[in-house]
Amino acid sequence: MIEVHDVTVAFGRTLALHRVNVQLKRGITGLFGPNASGKSTLLRTLAGLLRPARGRVTIDGMNVDLRDASFRRRIGWAGHATGLYGGLSVRENLELFAALYDASPDAPEQVVSSLGLDEVLDQRASALSAGWQRRAAVARALVHGPQIVLLDEPYANLDDEASEIVSAALKAWLAVDPTERIGVVATHGAKRLKGFADASVVLRRGALASHRVRNAE
Amino acid sequence: MLSKTWLLTRKELVLESRGRDTLPPMAAFAVTVVVLLAFALPGSARLTAPVTLPSGTVPLADVISGFLWVTLLFAGLIGFARTFEAERASGALESLLLVPIDRGGIYAAKALANLVFIVAAEVLIVPLFIILFGIDVGGSWVALILVIILVDIGFVAAGTLFAALAAATRSRELMLPLLALPALVPVFIAAVELSSDLFVGATVSDVAGRGWFGILVAYDIVFTVAGALAFEYALD
Repeated sequence: MIEVHDVTVAFGRTLALHRVNVQLKRGITGLFGPNASGKSTLLRTLAGLLRPARGRVTIDGMNVDLRDASFRRRIGWAGHATGLYGGLSVRENLELFAALYDASPDAPEQVVSSLGLDEVLDQRASALSAGWQRRAAVARALVHGPQIVLLDEPYANLDDEASEIVSAALKAWLAVDPTERIGVVATHGAKRLKGFADASVVLRRGALASHRVRNAE
Repeated sequence: MLSKTWLLTRKELVLESRGRDTLPPMAAFAVTVVVLLAFALPGSARLTAPVTLPSGTVPLADVISGFLWVTLLFAGLIGFARTFEAERASGALESLLLVPIDRGGIYAAKALANLVFIVAAEVLIVPLFIILFGIDVGGSWVALILVIILVDIGFVAAGTLFAALAAATRSRELMLPLLALPALVPVFIAAVELSSDLFVGATVSDVAGRGWFGILVAYDIVFTVAGALAFEYALD
């Protein structure tokens, strides 16, 4: 379980997150809110890429610490930018990150298959359309079979068919170990997640506006 | 960790071989400067010939040695400024920070790639410099290579660390020279002092006996260790 305890994140005098308290349990949580509501900031804080000015984030009771290699191994991250090396092909990007995470040699093949990337596998990432780049970025985040996946706008630039493919890949990732895996997906497109998200968190102006869990609804 | 460091180093070299973003500007700058200097200075003069400067009289070898290392210093900085460009352009730095590899491994990979780039530039520039200025390296070439290697290690160790610091700032092109140049002064003074001796026939044992040689070795050790340790904080 991810626990966000009274977290405040500030950029200079601007409060990006203000005293956010929330518990994110197993399954997929949709992170919603208008622009500048703090979705990306919360995701980056969960990943340890931002340190809160106040409060803390714990995963299974342990403080999030980017310097802890065992913590990093558990995280699959796709931020607002693709995080792909533009000069490498999709295959090379996936093989590089799979090897850096000590994933099995056939791990890239599995995510390529689940995200339908076969036709662009040998193209340079920089040459792909924004939609293909987004799918490849999700594949890179999933390639090592992480316990926790944090995705920022994975449906950006995707048509309905591609969005379905990404959703199916997320469901397949979760199905491998539904009792342990946690996915947090920040998106404007609530309808994309509605069918399968287990919980939703809504942020407004950096504060928690609502937190609903499907079973409790 | 070594295998992952190698993976990251290979990635840097593959990106450069395809993008050619680093070496060509380094080489273009260095070749232009060397050619301009060759026109400005008498290439046929004896290297022991005195040159009168406002601060006094020095042998021509000192001046030429200074020109060589200033050229390589700024060519190197042009290359180091691009150390994190691939990551910055695509947001891959965050992905890289989340990889379970020791940050020292990322530092080593970046430094090794920078070392390859600076050595490649030197392979082009140093012979050109020797030819255009009529320097008779003679029996000193082994010592010259030794000095160049020692300078490169310290230069790359410090340059990569400061490139990481600069990458975290908005005005990174300005910040890198501001941060790196003061720290690089000792290694380049040592380089100039030792090279000027070599240009007038000093041997390995002559050079190894000079205090600047010891400073160079100490600098390499300090910045290699400090770079690997401080890199983690530089990227935060």
